[in-house]
Formats: sequence, structure tokens, C-alpha cells
Amino acid sequence: MIRLENVTKEYPGHGIALREADADIGKGEFVFLVGPSGSGKSTFLRLVNKQEEPDNGRIFVAGKDIGELSSWKVPMLRRNIGSIFQDFKLLPNKTVAENISFALEVIGRPRHVIKTQVPAICDLVGLGDKTEKYPNQLSGGEQQRVSIARAFVNRPLILLADEPTGNLDPQTAIGIMRLLDRINKTGTTVVMATHDRGIVDTMRRRVIELSHGNIVRDEAAAAYEQLAQER
Amino acid sequence: MAIRVDYIAKETGNNLIRNPSLTLATVLTVAVSLALLGSALLISKGIDGLNTQFRDNVEFIVWIEPDATPEQVAFVERALDGSEGVKSSRYVDRDETFSEFQEFWEGNPTVIETVTPEQLPTRFDVVPVVPDLPVVEGLGAEFAGLPGVRDVKFASEYIKQLNTLTNFASNAILVAAVVSALASGMLMYNTIRTALFARRREVEVMRLVGASNWFIRVPFMLEGLVQGVAGAGIAGLVVFGLNRLLRNQIVGVDFRLLESFVLAPGEVAPIAMWLLLAGAAIGFVGSGVAVTRYLDA
Repeated sequence: MIRLENVTKEYPGHGIALREADADIGKGEFVFLVGPSGSGKSTFLRLVNKQEEPDNGRIFVAGKDIGELSSWKVPMLRRNIGSIFQDFKLLPNKTVAENISFALEVIGRPRHVIKTQVPAICDLVGLGDKTEKYPNQLSGGEQQRVSIARAFVNRPLILLADEPTGNLDPQTAIGIMRLLDRINKTGTTVVMATHDRGIVDTMRRRVIELSHGNIVRDEAAAAYEQLAQER
Repeated sequence: MAIRVDYIAKETGNNLIRNPSLTLATVLTVAVSLALLGSALLISKGIDGLNTQFRDNVEFIVWIEPDATPEQVAFVERALDGSEGVKSSRYVDRDETFSEFQEFWEGNPTVIETVTPEQLPTRFDVVPVVPDLPVVEGLGAEFAGLPGVRDVKFASEYIKQLNTLTNFASNAILVAAVVSALASGMLMYNTIRTALFARRREVEVMRLVGASNWFIRVPFMLEGLVQGVAGAGIAGLVVFGLNRLLRNQIVGVDFRLLESFVLAPGEVAPIAMWLLLAGAAIGFVGSGVAVTRYLDA
């Protein structure tokens, strides 16, 4: 579903963010990207939905080389990739329902589709009774659920999550992870960058570890940290 | 992909009222610059009109007093016919003058009602054999002193002096118009950038969920377009009003000379069309550049 071939990305003045990275993530996989801040996790995600262009190498999404996409086709790529963030990126002047329908409106979905899909996705993420609330009336965990609903309402093939539990307490984070797990079980490929050791160790999924832009580990059903002597 | 009209209308409307002072400033700047442009066009068209008055090689006009007797007119006519320097002359009589007057002031019945044919001076349009200025001036002077003659006006006198003066004026206004049009374009750019900044979260989400670039663009460009066209509309009204004002100002003056400076309303329309086009262009380019730079950044 996502394949990186020899991908290098450098930010002028900020050093190398990703160096000659190779990775192959299959359909329906759940992958954790781990590593310290500045190790290249976010860059990895931003390259996949073409928010950034690699300096070198090729990136394939669903079998297509996205480096060859013309700029007007990039929106079509992004419709197949949901994104969630540590800071939720909700619109404060819109209600839960409006935030989610906004995502459908702006890609030209007809009104009747929006009318049926928005309540359905709100129920799915467990916010069926809060659709008319504004983001500042919700807890952090609830806001992240709205953001997940917005990312998933279009049933994307891939969900990219950049530190989605970074702002949440452990108990709330578990709820969010359950939700992401459910979404993954529908066949959606989930790639999640995280610092959260507890979550990675509990879920035991594939882990890609980055350090200074290098992929230093790519291991199935792994823990957050590899034992020191094995390195 | 179908773009929903109601969405676009709603977004454009919201953008316009989100920052009313900036919207107003932009509209007014566009209006001022285009009003200047319109005035320059009005004046240069006026000069064209003046030139056509002295068309067909008419080099001077002998104006006859409104109360001149028919004998006096006949005397002047004989003098013109008898002069060797005059190639041809044509008497424009009361009826013709009055119908010219009516035609010109059409749509302004107050002016027409206050003037009777008897009050209007008649004239001879004279084509000399030699059109050189000193010759023409000497020739014209021969008729200036004849009984019943009010005045002799030379094409050179009018056209050359006025051309210089008004060309200078209209060029100066044109320069001011171009400079302020540039300024309004830049203000437009900044207004749209501000609008983009005010909506940066929405724009970010739109890009993230895969809204097409045009979908993001259109409301902002429409906002610029509406502001540009609104400014042009105000400028059009100003030019129309200026035209009316000039017209009313010159009643009672030597109207035959100055009337050419004023265009009939039908002729203000093409200027207004140009202003609308210019306003739309300022809005379109200013906002387009702003959105493109924002989205490409």
C-alpha cells in the first residue's frame, strides 16, 4: 500500500530528515513509527500524502509513484489518505457535525450523502450525542475522536496519525487506540508516529524505528525499544 | 468535480463581511484609481470630440451675434464668398444650430426649455485655401470687424492650445491612475492574503482532506472580483457624475466650444465598460496572485 524506495529528504538548514529510507507497508497493516523528536517520523508521514517532496527516491501509494502525480491530482491522492494530528486541527467555529461535513463538502460530496454519513461516523467514534457541541466544549479525547471521524468519514485506504495521543492522558489514549484498531480492522492501513512507549508495547504491532533520519529497525509484532544488546 | 454554487456564494459572502474595513478600503482604492482612469479617458475623448468639430478642414469659425440682422449675415456671407483666401464656407443657420443644441442636450429638457433659437448665435464654418496658421489668422481677422460678427475662432487656437493643455492634464491623470491602480492591486493582494490568513485553518483542512485547488481558490478569487467590480461601479458613477457636472457647468459659456468636451451618456457607457473590465482585472490578478502564492508556499 505504501512503499518507499531509497527516499532522502533534507530540509536546508535543518539537516537530513530521512536518509535512503526503504519501507514497504502492506494493505491493512498497522505500523508504528517510533523514534525521538526530529528523527524523521513526521517527515515520513508528510511524504506519503505529498505535503513534502522527497529530494531523492520514489514513493508508491497503492502501486502508484506519487512523484509522478501532477499537482492537480494531489487532492485525489489525499482523498484516499486520512490524517490525524496531535493538535486535532478542528475548526473552532464549527460544531462536531459541521467539522465532519466540512471535509465532505469541500470534496464535493452531495448533500444527501453528507446527511447520512455524518451521523453514522459520529456513532462509530462514540460521539453520537455530541454532534452539536463545539470543539472547546469537548475533552481532548473527544476532540481527537472528531478528528478521527473527519479523517475516516471518506473511508480512506490509509490513515496517517502523527502523535494522536500526544496530548491525551493514558486512559483517554487507550480509548483512541481502540478506535484506531477498529478502523484498522476494516482494512484501512494505519501508520502512526508515536512517542508512547506504553501503547506500542501493549499493541505489539510492526514497529519502524527512526534515528536521525535513518530507519534503524523494522520489526513485526515488536516493542517500543529493542533490547540494547541486540543492536 | 461539481463545485456547489451555494457553498461558493456562502463562502464568498462570509469573506466579504469578515473584515469590513479592509473590504471597504480595497473597494474605495479601486474606485479612486479607476475614477482617475475614467476621467483621463473622458478628457481624451473630449479632445477627440473637439477635433471632430473642426473636421472637414474647417480652420476657423465666424460667429454671428444672435441679434444680427439678415442683412448683416448676408453681408458677411458675401464677404466670405468674395474673399480669395476662402475656399468654401457654410452657413449654419438658426434651425440647424438649435437642432444641434437640442441633440446635444437631449435628455436635459431644462436646458432646452430655457433657450430659444433666437438666443443662439449662428456661424459660418470656413475652409481656407491655405491652411497655414499665419495665413488663416490674417484671413480670419478680415472678418472679425464686420458688423454683426461676434467673434472669430480659429481651429489652431482651440485645438493646439487645448490639445497641449488637456493632453498634459490627461497624461498626468493617467499616470496617477496607473500608479493608484498598481496600489489598489497590491492592496487587493494583501486583502486576499489577510482573508486567507483568517481562514488558514479551514484552508489547511481543505488541503488535507483533498479539496481541489480550484475549490479552495474560487471563493477567494470571487471575493477579489466582487471588490474590484464594486470599486469599478463606484468609479463609473463618478465618471458619469463628472460628465454631468461638466455639462451643467458650461451652460451659458461659449457652449459651441466647450460642448465637445462633454460626452453624451451613450459615450460614457464604453468608458464604464472599460472601468468594469479594469476593476475585474485588478480583483482577479490581485487575488489570483495572493492565492497562488499562498497555496504554493
